[in-house]
Amino acid sequence: MEKKKKMGMDRRTFIKTTGVIGLGVATSSFGVPKLLRAAPTTIKIGSVQPATGPLAVIGVGQRRGNQLAADYINSKGGIKSMGGAKLELLLGDSESKPEVGRSEADRLIKEGAVVMTGPFQSGVAMAISTLCEQRQVPFIMDVAALDQITGKGKKYTFRVFITVTGLLNGAVKYLEHVTSLKGVMPKRAVVTNTADPFGKGMSGGFIKLMEKSGLPIKIVERIQYPLGIQDLSAEVARIKAARPDVLFPVSRPGDSIILTRELYKQRVKLMGIYGPGSPGYYEPGVIKDLGRLIDYVMVNVPWINPKSPVYQQANAAFRKAHDRYLDTNSAYAYTGVLVIADILERAASTDPDKIIAATRQTDFKNHPVVGGPVRFDEKGDNTGALTALIQVQPDQDLFKRVKVVAPKEFAESGQIVFPWPQLWER
Amino acid sequence: MATAVGAVIGMDSNLALQLIIQGLLLGGIYGLIAMGLSLIFGVMGVINFAHGQMMVIAMYVSYWIFVLLGVDPYLSLVIVAAVIFVLGYLIQSAVVNRILDYPEAMQVLPLVSMGLILENLALLLWGPDHRSPQTALSLEALWIGPVMIDVSRLIAFVLAIFITVLIFIFLKKTNIGKCIRAASDNRTGAILVGINVNRIYNASFALGAATTAAAGVLLLPIMPISPYMGHDFTLIAFVVVILGGMGNLIGALVGGLILGVAESASTLFLPATLKHVVSFSILIIIMLFRPQGIFGGKS
Repeated sequence: MEKKKKMGMDRRTFIKTTGVIGLGVATSSFGVPKLLRAAPTTIKIGSVQPATGPLAVIGVGQRRGNQLAADYINSKGGIKSMGGAKLELLLGDSESKPEVGRSEADRLIKEGAVVMTGPFQSGVAMAISTLCEQRQVPFIMDVAALDQITGKGKKYTFRVFITVTGLLNGAVKYLEHVTSLKGVMPKRAVVTNTADPFGKGMSGGFIKLMEKSGLPIKIVERIQYPLGIQDLSAEVARIKAARPDVLFPVSRPGDSIILTRELYKQRVKLMGIYGPGSPGYYEPGVIKDLGRLIDYVMVNVPWINPKSPVYQQANAAFRKAHDRYLDTNSAYAYTGVLVIADILERAASTDPDKIIAATRQTDFKNHPVVGGPVRFDEKGDNTGALTALIQVQPDQDLFKRVKVVAPKEFAESGQIVFPWPQLWER
Repeated sequence: MATAVGAVIGMDSNLALQLIIQGLLLGGIYGLIAMGLSLIFGVMGVINFAHGQMMVIAMYVSYWIFVLLGVDPYLSLVIVAAVIFVLGYLIQSAVVNRILDYPEAMQVLPLVSMGLILENLALLLWGPDHRSPQTALSLEALWIGPVMIDVSRLIAFVLAIFITVLIFIFLKKTNIGKCIRAASDNRTGAILVGINVNRIYNASFALGAATTAAAGVLLLPIMPISPYMGHDFTLIAFVVVILGGMGNLIGALVGGLILGVAESASTLFLPATLKHVVSFSILIIIMLFRPQGIFGGKS
């Protein structure tokens, strides 16, 4: 019984592989008119998202965003500089875990992905980025915010999304905007966050920046709880005891629901909820379940540009397919694949070095999100990325309840409600 | 900031009272979940690793009844418990009865797989979203001075105690209950006196499943459902069962109350991220100093 590990390809594997490929090519050509066969190539893009696990709601939305953009590009004739090559999305599921994300990315690269995208979570992004640098596969992240993912001499890692620093600057900037516009200044605040890398980094950074900002709001307590927590009654009792004027939650969908309901039940008096930047308060499911309790919650967040025709077109298609609106995450997932398509168009090749060279030259304006044109700086971050301030407001149409209230050039509603009517007085 | 936290803890006894009441009320439901597990373990000696997942399925069934027919979870409790009773009966007769004589390590796998199957079934049927329909009482609260009592928790607590008492009476007084206890005491003896042990096992597993189903329904107005929440509750049920004593039903209830209060009150001193550290520390301490559990007899 000899068990030698062979590095190359032996005869049998060769015959098997070519046989399978041959069969595949042969069958796929059946019934296809000759004219269409002029562009037989497909370009594989690997998308690793948290499609199962505690972030599955978002992960599935991400996948759908990626897929919608790929379908759009393909319907417009694919990558024209490469003879109309079609984009094919290879799907990976990180299960919300870095190690799984990495092995899934590895699998997709082995299956022929020439560009990687994803992965929503910063921890997973770190793992995939290291892998992509080793394998020399361009990694154009659609969503992932932690600053440290890019830079440090990385050559293949780029991000379309905003960085945590960018997010935080927006959070303080809009808080200043709201308080000066309304002429009210909260004095005490509580920060809550999920204890995953993103939640900790985001809220920790926000607390530091608030101290530096010169705003007279004192953060009297910080409450952290695990991702996927089922019960926040004790935490809300502590929030109440801290007597805050305003709450700064870095939350996710499940905990946003229980947090808000507990605030209602325990009659916690607040001027409002102001999210420094996290998904949770703008998911349609959350808005539906919370009903009037979610009104007037504000979140600083990278957001869709309601006025952009690209958004309107994509949103209509997304709503038709999935009965949900294209939210920040899925819109960035959509943008990510559009940017990749633009890069491939200019690179006219799947060679990693050519893709990287084209990525560096990116100047992509026709995207569906709030912000300037997508351009990448030295580190690989998007200099055009910008946040918006959104507020949930009453509206008959569930899908229209989230309104952009700042900055002005993107705003749908000039009205900002702050302080809010107490949760139990609605 | 640390001083502010210190001041809050130091002066607010209302907070402590609030936390203890909330913990106690939730503890009743923990006890009910654990009682199902304890019953199954006590009778058959198998640990039901699909316990939390069965509860999640019950929650979804109740959710469905609520959303599609508008029937409040408290009213659909009996129906949901019956549905999960049947599910439990089938799992026992199709799977568990066949593996009873296997080594323990081999008993684990089919039940873990069952848990995975149920979890993915929930994912398939209801999707990954967190669902938390607003039921009639889910936002109601009573106030005793400055202390808030969550009505849905209170109802859950009272019903949990009630169900526990019912099951206790069932096991003590009815014929089937006596057969279950006989089969659990001495399997061979039970067979010798003519008890159809396999059928009794089916009934016990089904009863355990129905109990956890009832707990799930009571939880529906309190916490959002997602397909993945089962694990957490299987673990909680373990801790509670070990705390109270394996196979001891009253122990399960008391263990649930202790764990609920400990978890809730610990947030006074510790960050909520360490909640599970508290529960598992209790587990380890119990294992070290009183491995038979608080109410367990000598093994």
